[in-house]
Amino acid sequence: MATTDALTLFLQSLPKRSYYEILRVPRTAKAREVKSAFHGFSLLYHPDRHVGASDEVVRLAAEIYKRGVEAYACLSRPPLRERYDRALEDGKLRLDASAVAEDLPAPPPPMRTLETIATTPRGKQHALKADRLIAIGKLDDARVQLVSACQCEPYNGELAERLQALYEALALEPL
Amino acid sequence: MALAVGIDLGTTNTVIAAVRNGVAATIPGPQGRRLIPSIVSFLPSGARLVGPAGTERRLMDPANTIYSVKRLIGRAWESPEVQQARPKLPFELREGPKGGTVIAARGETFSLPEISAFILGHAKAVAEAHVGEPVGRAVITVPANFNDLQRAATKTAGRIAGLEVLRILNEPTAAALAYGPQDKAHERIAVYDLGGGTFDVTLLDLAGNVFEVLATAGDTALGGDDVDLIVAERMADDLLAKHRFDARAEPTAFGKLRILAEHVKRELSTQEEHVVSVDDIVPGLGGTRVAWQFRMTRSDLEWAALTLIERTFKVCGHALEAAGCEPAELDRIILVGGATRMPMVARKVEQFFGRAPVVRINPDEVVALGAAIQAALLDKTKQRAGMVEHPRIAEESVVEPLPATDEARPPSEPPPGLPVVSKKDPRPPSPRPPPVAQVVARAPFLSPRPTKPLVFEIPETRAVLPRTTQLGAAVARGGAPSQRPAPPPLPSGPPRRSPPSGPPPLLSFEAPPALAPSAPRPAPLLIDVTPLSLGVETVGGFCDRLIDANTPVPCDRTRTFTTASSGQTTVTVRVAQGESKRFEENTFLGEVELSGLTPAPRGETKIAVTFVIDPDGILDVKARDDSTGREQTARLQLVGAQTSPAEVEEMRARHAAHPIGESAGVLPARRPIAGEA
Ligand SMILES: Nc1ncnc2c1ncn2[C@@H]1O[C@H](COP(=O)(O)OP(=O)(O)O)[C@@H](O)[C@H]1O
Ligand SMILES: [Mg+2]
Repeated sequence: MATTDALTLFLQSLPKRSYYEILRVPRTAKAREVKSAFHGFSLLYHPDRHVGASDEVVRLAAEIYKRGVEAYACLSRPPLRERYDRALEDGKLRLDASAVAEDLPAPPPPMRTLETIATTPRGKQHALKADRLIAIGKLDDARVQLVSACQCEPYNGELAERLQALYEALALEPL
Repeated sequence: MALAVGIDLGTTNTVIAAVRNGVAATIPGPQGRRLIPSIVSFLPSGARLVGPAGTERRLMDPANTIYSVKRLIGRAWESPEVQQARPKLPFELREGPKGGTVIAARGETFSLPEISAFILGHAKAVAEAHVGEPVGRAVITVPANFNDLQRAATKTAGRIAGLEVLRILNEPTAAALAYGPQDKAHERIAVYDLGGGTFDVTLLDLAGNVFEVLATAGDTALGGDDVDLIVAERMADDLLAKHRFDARAEPTAFGKLRILAEHVKRELSTQEEHVVSVDDIVPGLGGTRVAWQFRMTRSDLEWAALTLIERTFKVCGHALEAAGCEPAELDRIILVGGATRMPMVARKVEQFFGRAPVVRINPDEVVALGAAIQAALLDKTKQRAGMVEHPRIAEESVVEPLPATDEARPPSEPPPGLPVVSKKDPRPPSPRPPPVAQVVARAPFLSPRPTKPLVFEIPETRAVLPRTTQLGAAVARGGAPSQRPAPPPLPSGPPRRSPPSGPPPLLSFEAPPALAPSAPRPAPLLIDVTPLSLGVETVGGFCDRLIDANTPVPCDRTRTFTTASSGQTTVTVRVAQGESKRFEENTFLGEVELSGLTPAPRGETKIAVTFVIDPDGILDVKARDDSTGREQTARLQLVGAQTSPAEVEEMRARHAAHPIGESAGVLPARRPIAGEA
C-alpha cells in the first residue's frame, strides 16, 4: 500500500516538474549524465521492474515511466533540448506534442491565408479557392486560381510573392 | 504451474528455450534437433505437419507447403511485400478480410497468424513433451524493425496457439540479454544477425545491468538463402556444361539443387573443400539416372558471396550513423543467425569493426535463450517467490572456438530427401587459428577446459565442449575458476555423456573479478525502443510525426484533433509508421475512429487523442473530449488485422480443432476434409 501511495504522489507531482526535475539532473547535465539518470529512473519505474506487484502499482509505474521517457526523449536530443530550455524560460514545463526532432528548426508562424491577403471581392474569391486547393494538396489548380487573383490585383505585392512561392513549390515537386 | 518459455520464431527456423533451475537451455525435439524449420505442410487429408520433414515436403508438395510466412505476416494484401512475393512463392496467397493476406492450401484458407500459430503450437508441444509440464506463457521474438502490424500479428499468432504472450521482444535485445552484462561499467554492443532471409544490425548501450537500444537497421532481403541461390546457380552452370542438363528449366531439379547448395555451403563452413555426388537429378536414357559430381572450395564460395556479405556493412553504416558512433567505438560485436557460421562473416566483421566478433553462444540458439531469460524475468509466479536471478546458459549451447579437427566435429547430416554421397576433402583441413579474443574476454566466467575435446550426441553440426558459463547473479557465487562449478542440471531426456573431471586447464585464465561472493547482481532490465516513427496524416498528404523512432517504450503522446465541419459526430485519424514526410510513403497502419461526438459548430469540439506504444512496441489509442472532459471511444482498426478477442478466440478454437499430421506420408485418422475424395 505504501508503494501505491508513494507512486500516486509522485505521479501527481509530475505536471509541476520540469523534465530535469523528473529525471533528477541539473540543467547543466551532460548527455552522459542524462542517460545514466534515465537508466536509474528506469530501474525504479520501468513496468518490468514491477512484475508481480499489484495491477495498480504496475499501472502507476507505467504512467510515471512514460513521463520519464518524454523527458528523456527531449533532453537526449540536443535540438529539442535547446528548444525545451527556451520554453522552460517561458514557464512551460512540457514540450508540446508537435515537438519532435523533425520539426526543427522551429516552424515559421502560420501563414496568412490568401483570402486575407487579397483585397478585392473578385480577388478574394479566387484566393479562397486557391487556399482550399492548397489544403488538399492540389497545388497546380491552386496556381491557376492564384494567377487569376493576381490579375485582379496587380498591385498586391504580397499576393505576387505567394504566387512565386507556389511556383517554387511546384518546381520542387517530383511530378 | 505452466512453464514460461522463450520462442525465436524465425523466418527459417524456430527455437524454443526455457529457464529451469537457473539454467537457460534450448529444448530439443524428439530426434534431438533444436531447430524447427519454420515450415507448415498440409497433407492430402488437410492435416498439418510441422517439424524436420518440412524441408522434404517443400520438394514433394510445394503448393501445400508454406514457408517464409514471417516475410509476409502483418503485411496488407496491397503492400509491395506481398505483391512482390506472390509470383515467387509456390503456394497460393489471396486477399483476406480487412485488406489482409491469407494462404490457401487443400481447400482451406488460413490467415498468416494462423500459419505462424501452427509453428508456435508445434514448438509448444515439443517443449511440453520434453519437459513434461504444460507450457502456458511465452516471450516471442521479432526482428527489431518489425512495425506495429507485424508485432500485433505475431502476438495474435501466439494467442491462437494457446499461449499467453508475456512480451514481444526484439531479437537483438534478446541476444544481448543472453550474453549478459560484462564487468565493464559501460559498453557499446553491436548485434550482427544474418539469418536465412534477413539481415539486422542493432546497436545497444549496456550500463551496469541496463540494456538500452540505440539504433537498429536491416535488410529484409539478405541472408543465407541468397548464398544458397548463388551456389545453386553455380551447380546449374556445372550441370549444363557437363551433362547439357538445364536445371533452371525444371523447378523440382532446381529446388533439389538449392537444398544441395545449402548442404555444401554448411560443409564449407568447416572444410576447405567439399565434393557432392548425386545421381537423382539428371535423367538418363530409359529412366536411368546420371551420376553428377560437384566440387567447390571455400574460397570459391567466399568469392561468390563477397558482394552479398559486403552489403551487410552498408546496413551497419546506417545504424552507426543513426546512433552517432564510429565502428571502432563498439566494445563487443555479437554474431547471431546461422549464416554467421560462414568463416568469412567473422573475418569481414572484424575488418569492418576492427575487433574480433564474439560467438560464444550458438548463433542460432542465442535469441531463443535470451527470450527464455526475459520470460523468466517477466514470470509473475517466479518474481513473487523471489526466484529470479540472471540464469546461466546451458553448456550445450556454448560454442567452443577450437581449431577444427575431424574428431571434434560430428559430420553434418545430408539434406533429407536426397540420396547424397558426400566425400570429405582428402586433405586434412587447415587448422583455423583459435579466436583467442572471445575466450579471453569471458575468461573469468569460464570453467577449466578438459584436455580432450568431447563430442556430445547432438545432431546439429557443431563442435561442442562441455563448459559451464555463468552470467549475472550466478557469477557472484561462481567462486574461483579453478573450482569446477557443479554442472547445471541437464534437461531430462536422452542422457548425455558427462565431461571428464579434473584435467588441468590448457589456458591460464585471468583471476576472477573481485566480486563480493554474496553480492548477487540485480536482474537485468531491457530498455527497448520503437524502431519506427509514428505519425498521423495531415492536410496535403503529409505525415505529422508524433513519436520519433528510437524512443524508449512504453511511451505515449497526446495530440488534439478537431471537427472540420459543423455538426460532425465522428472524426477519423489515419496513422502510419515510417520516416517519410509523405504519409503515403510510410506503412499505413490503420485508422482511429472517434465517434459519438456531441454535434457542435466546426472546430469547437476538441478531442485529445493519446497514442500509446506498449512494451511490446504495439500501438494503442485512447481519446478524451477536451470540451466535455468525457472519455471518447477510440477504435483502432488496423489494416488486415484480426485482433479483437472474438476473432482471436475463433481462430484459437479452429487451431485447437485442426488435425495434426503424424509424419510425412502418414495419413492421420482425424477429420476428413471437404473437397477431398
Ligand atoms: N554451418 C553453417 N554454415 C553456413 N550457414 C549456415 C550454417 N548453419 C546454418 N546456416 C544458415 O543459416 C540460415 C538460417 O539461420 P537462422 O538464424 O536459423 O535463420 P532465421 O533467423 O532466418 O530463422 C540458413 O540460411 C542456413 O543455411
Ligand atoms: Mg533469426
